[in-house]
Amino acid sequence: MQYIDIDAPGSNQLFIGNEAMARGALEAGIGWASAYPGTPSSEILGSLAEVAKKRGIYVEWSVNEKVAIEAGAAASYAGIRSLVAMKMNGLNVVIDFLSTIVLSGIGKKGLVLMVGDDPAAHSSSNETDSRPVSKWLDIPLVEPGDFQEAKDMIPYLYDISEEFGTICILRSVTRVAHARGNIRLGEIPKVVHKARFEQYFDPAAPMPTPIMCVPSSFRHMFQHMRLDKIREKFETSTYNKYVGPEKPDLLIVTSGSGWLYSQDAVNALKAENRIGILKLGTLWPLPEKLVKSCLSKADKVLFIEETDPFLEGVIMEFAAGFSPESKRNLFYGNHTRHLNSFGELTPDAVIKAITGVLDIPYAPRDADYMKKVEAVPQQYVMDRLLTFCPGCPHRASFWAIKNALAMDGRHGFVTGDIGCYSMALGPAGFFQTRTHQCMGAGAGLANGFGQLHRFGFDQPVVSVVGDSTFYHSIIPGLVNGVHNHSDFTLVILDNGATAMTGFQPHPGTELTAMGEPAAQISMENICRAIGARVEVCDPFDLKSTTRTMLSMIEQKEGARVAIMRRTCELVRQKKEEKPYKMKIDPEKCLGEDCGCNRLCTRVFRCPGLIWDPVAGKTKIDEVICNECGVCADICPEGAITREAVA
Amino acid sequence: MVTKTKGMGELFKEVINKDLCTLCGACIGDCPYTVFYRGKIRMLDLCTREEGHCYGYCPRTRTDLDAINNKLFGVPFTGAEIGTVKDVFMARSRDAKVRSGAQYGGTVTSLLLLALESDLINAAITTNTDEDKLPEASVARSAAGVMAGAGSNYMAYPVLEALNRMPKDSKEKLGIVVTPCQAIALAKMRLDPPTQRASLDNIRLSVGLFCTWALAYDRFYEFLKNNVDLPKVRKFDIPPPPANRFDVYIGKEVKSFPLDEVRKYRMPTCAYCLDMTAEFTDISVGSVEGIEGWNTVIVRTQHGADIIAEAKKKGKLEIKDLPAQSLAHLKEASLIKKARAVQEIVKKTGDKNDLMYIDISHDLKEKLLGHKVGAQGGH
Amino acid sequence: MNKLAKDPINVVVAGVGGQGNVMVTLVLGNTLVHDGYFVTIGETYGASQRGGSVMSHLKISAEKQYSPLIPEGQADIVLGMEPVETLRVLKSYGNQNVVTVVNPRPIHAVDFTGSGAGYPDMRELLAQITGMSAKTYIVEATGEAQKLGNSMLANMILIGALIQTGLVTISREAIEKTIVDMFPKAVKENIAALSKGRELAAKQ
Repeated sequence: MQYIDIDAPGSNQLFIGNEAMARGALEAGIGWASAYPGTPSSEILGSLAEVAKKRGIYVEWSVNEKVAIEAGAAASYAGIRSLVAMKMNGLNVVIDFLSTIVLSGIGKKGLVLMVGDDPAAHSSSNETDSRPVSKWLDIPLVEPGDFQEAKDMIPYLYDISEEFGTICILRSVTRVAHARGNIRLGEIPKVVHKARFEQYFDPAAPMPTPIMCVPSSFRHMFQHMRLDKIREKFETSTYNKYVGPEKPDLLIVTSGSGWLYSQDAVNALKAENRIGILKLGTLWPLPEKLVKSCLSKADKVLFIEETDPFLEGVIMEFAAGFSPESKRNLFYGNHTRHLNSFGELTPDAVIKAITGVLDIPYAPRDADYMKKVEAVPQQYVMDRLLTFCPGCPHRASFWAIKNALAMDGRHGFVTGDIGCYSMALGPAGFFQTRTHQCMGAGAGLANGFGQLHRFGFDQPVVSVVGDSTFYHSIIPGLVNGVHNHSDFTLVILDNGATAMTGFQPHPGTELTAMGEPAAQISMENICRAIGARVEVCDPFDLKSTTRTMLSMIEQKEGARVAIMRRTCELVRQKKEEKPYKMKIDPEKCLGEDCGCNRLCTRVFRCPGLIWDPVAGKTKIDEVICNECGVCADICPEGAITREAVA
Repeated sequence: MVTKTKGMGELFKEVINKDLCTLCGACIGDCPYTVFYRGKIRMLDLCTREEGHCYGYCPRTRTDLDAINNKLFGVPFTGAEIGTVKDVFMARSRDAKVRSGAQYGGTVTSLLLLALESDLINAAITTNTDEDKLPEASVARSAAGVMAGAGSNYMAYPVLEALNRMPKDSKEKLGIVVTPCQAIALAKMRLDPPTQRASLDNIRLSVGLFCTWALAYDRFYEFLKNNVDLPKVRKFDIPPPPANRFDVYIGKEVKSFPLDEVRKYRMPTCAYCLDMTAEFTDISVGSVEGIEGWNTVIVRTQHGADIIAEAKKKGKLEIKDLPAQSLAHLKEASLIKKARAVQEIVKKTGDKNDLMYIDISHDLKEKLLGHKVGAQGGH
Repeated sequence: MNKLAKDPINVVVAGVGGQGNVMVTLVLGNTLVHDGYFVTIGETYGASQRGGSVMSHLKISAEKQYSPLIPEGQADIVLGMEPVETLRVLKSYGNQNVVTVVNPRPIHAVDFTGSGAGYPDMRELLAQITGMSAKTYIVEATGEAQKLGNSMLANMILIGALIQTGLVTISREAIEKTIVDMFPKAVKENIAALSKGRELAAKQ
């Protein structure tokens, strides 16, 4: 196994962007890293955790992003270079702290926040662009354009952070953070970290205490002065570059993933002599002189950026202030609908934008081939919807929740949350989830629904959350619900890991990020201490879990908690053999007949069960089946059996 | 023929969601999509089959009464007040112990005991009353089990679920005690027997109970729970006539409720029921108007006649002629139930040609529509 | 490092979450980087691990770092770990010159199953794939891997077949070094699988 701290300066390695950033942090000599997992940012901390002990740094999966960044700031205040990582949703969670640390300033050592955005929301519930936060909250922001930059920008950013005493943000997107490319390694310095919180009351001291935001207006002004100085610094940054002819027909202004896509597109269009590209790495504060000089090269300017038209906005705003004698450009981008401000940026989208501005023909494949493409029957390429893994406890949990709500018959519903179990919006969880927003939202909504009985509301409300989510953002909702007598059931799907993002530990698990024994926080003790009735059940025991759910939703008032506890199948199979050998008796299988109608393959839909339309029977896919045994309990004919494996 | 052209979605749309369900239980027990819970049939998932037994066997989906009558008795459905009759008389058990636990004369219990004893059946499917006086289905394989099932609590219960749950390969010979709606469902099953269940030929004896209406399990139970000490209740009764009381025997006490108060908890679907005397069974049993401690017995099939003959031979039943006046009253009450059902249905559908589930001749329809039903009486 | 006949070479690896898509691109990518090439890999992660279609884009260049996504219709090679996914990828990225290596072992999807339609007819599916490729190698990788004792070796068999096509210049030494680095406990099995893949492709 290869670790990110491989000691081979100058060598070439194939790293994903997140590993490159983590390597960059090691080369910058960080002593602290904290994060909450979230795709596409998780591997930054994950790869640092693997080498933390060896490298003498502290790495922590924090309970949530806000604690992660506040804890990380403490390290900076005590003189340790500190890294904090999160996905864009986490940024929203930490906005309050960011808005004050820009005023209070950081410690003597740098504090860098790495935010991973997920355009197209491959693994997210939104696709917000984090870059505008820089302008909004006055925080310097950079964006790597390739893998090498993802690494190299980190030491650079720490230098900026320390020189100007401000937190800095590095924004990456899925196609940088999660793509792989060549990295030329640098040296990892030997740093002896020594932490001490110096308490100078002298306002002229490098870090005067108390650390505070008042007088806020004065400090706000001061941050703007800092940004002006940083802008000067950015004017000459090597992360900003122009490539192309001196007088191009079209100037592309781009950053991040758009840099490589733009080059690919220009290359595919064979338009290197007609198109110039200004690639910005330091986005905020905007290096205005550089931008102005590049704008003067061409009449037409096309903005290529992923998600929001951020540069498009700030540069057009900047250009609007040019003197009347200055060159006036024709701007293209999202505002002219040459590019979308949603979904993922792709080379095809860039090609389309360019050919929409310049008249360049482009046909990636010939007409004959296109005919073949169009002739492919749809049933040959049917969609594969996402689903829970074979043996996943969530499928069983939602089966019990579904049946309990249906038996109760009062049109009860599930408010959902963020994790693998988000798939319960669809057939994987039998379409049970009715709301799906951000972490914690389901419990908050349940609090509200649970108070509406005074207005005639009589439907049971079930908030379903994951274990990691519980610690992250559910506890206040439960406190609120118990305190205010809100009427709802909280279901915690406790599979013992932050499964969605790659099995990171959380406060309920045994080990810390660094693999050391953790103090496990019992979720049932928390819930009971809050005053909720708590029941713990095994979702694979469908009968008793359904009974528990019924007794929960039939309880007349108050917030109550059902913990459905079963290890994530992907974790279990690393440690244990398969528990059963599953078999189907074709004689007993009713198939589509009355009395079954393919309950297992049509409704339960575990991928381990295959429908054989010729035989009219269900079969087990022995390669995929994880032999959990649950389908034996749903088969109405007892055709599916499990045999314990000795 | 049984209408088997629709499935579960329509069953819920046309019957269950419209509060027309009789809780017979024909649609549950052998189907993973439906379940009985707290007085209601619930859908766990939608079955997409276009044809389902659930729809076909439901006593509130289109029912060809002629076909049923022909199948069971070899004659068409005429609309005669108390159905197809071989013999009518009054009877009571000769066993005092049986009579003491019985609603009226203990005839049903005696017949089941006899059937078990003489190996005509191995098990009796009945509706029992549990500790909390809630109805529950029982499959009794012993005399004690049958005795435990005696008495009525007037609450509807899906007893056919127990039949549907019999193992597919079961050869157990069955007796079953059913209400009129359950008898219709059973008859519809016989018209188009399920292939994936235990054979209906296993049913060797079906005993029907007279029924004017049944009480809604969930709502009536709430009422009882709030008004009487349920575990101490021995018996419920609506003494005839003028049938205006609901008596609850608690220990040695009797607590009476005005029947009008109890009637509020009737199943809405009972208003649309044609059948008072459980016309589609081997034997139907009910009370005798004005004579306490006796049952009216209607024998409808040879099966029924045979067991009555056996009961006579073994001295299990005391049998007397039913007074002509009692028979006349029974017929009138039964006719009124038919007429009222048809009139209520037309009121509901607003169309004389739309009798919902009922499929009867034009003449019979006109006759029933024209019959005076008077004020809502009886029980 | 050799100059490439076409630069970059675009490879799409197609499969179903859990099949080892990422592993295949990593083996190829690591080997090529050690040989001095620029490699960019774009992968689908996260939710797509759970039974969904997954695809990796692999761009190989002797000159520069390319973006992680291949434009529509620009694949040079499709490495198909699953037949439906292979056809899906050809629809989007195939062209008149594309070379396809496909494992004809189906992975059923709950959606095929749920609708009752079942998996498409294999012969017709492979005919579609062949019709949309300039050259097709049908490699019974899963079956052969099971013979070798571990169905996961199917991936290495496919890599062997890919190398045999001669479209990517990977030396035996380089790939064997990668195997030693990445699978130190199963070097022999993986090398055997690699040879099996080359052998199967050489016959076609």
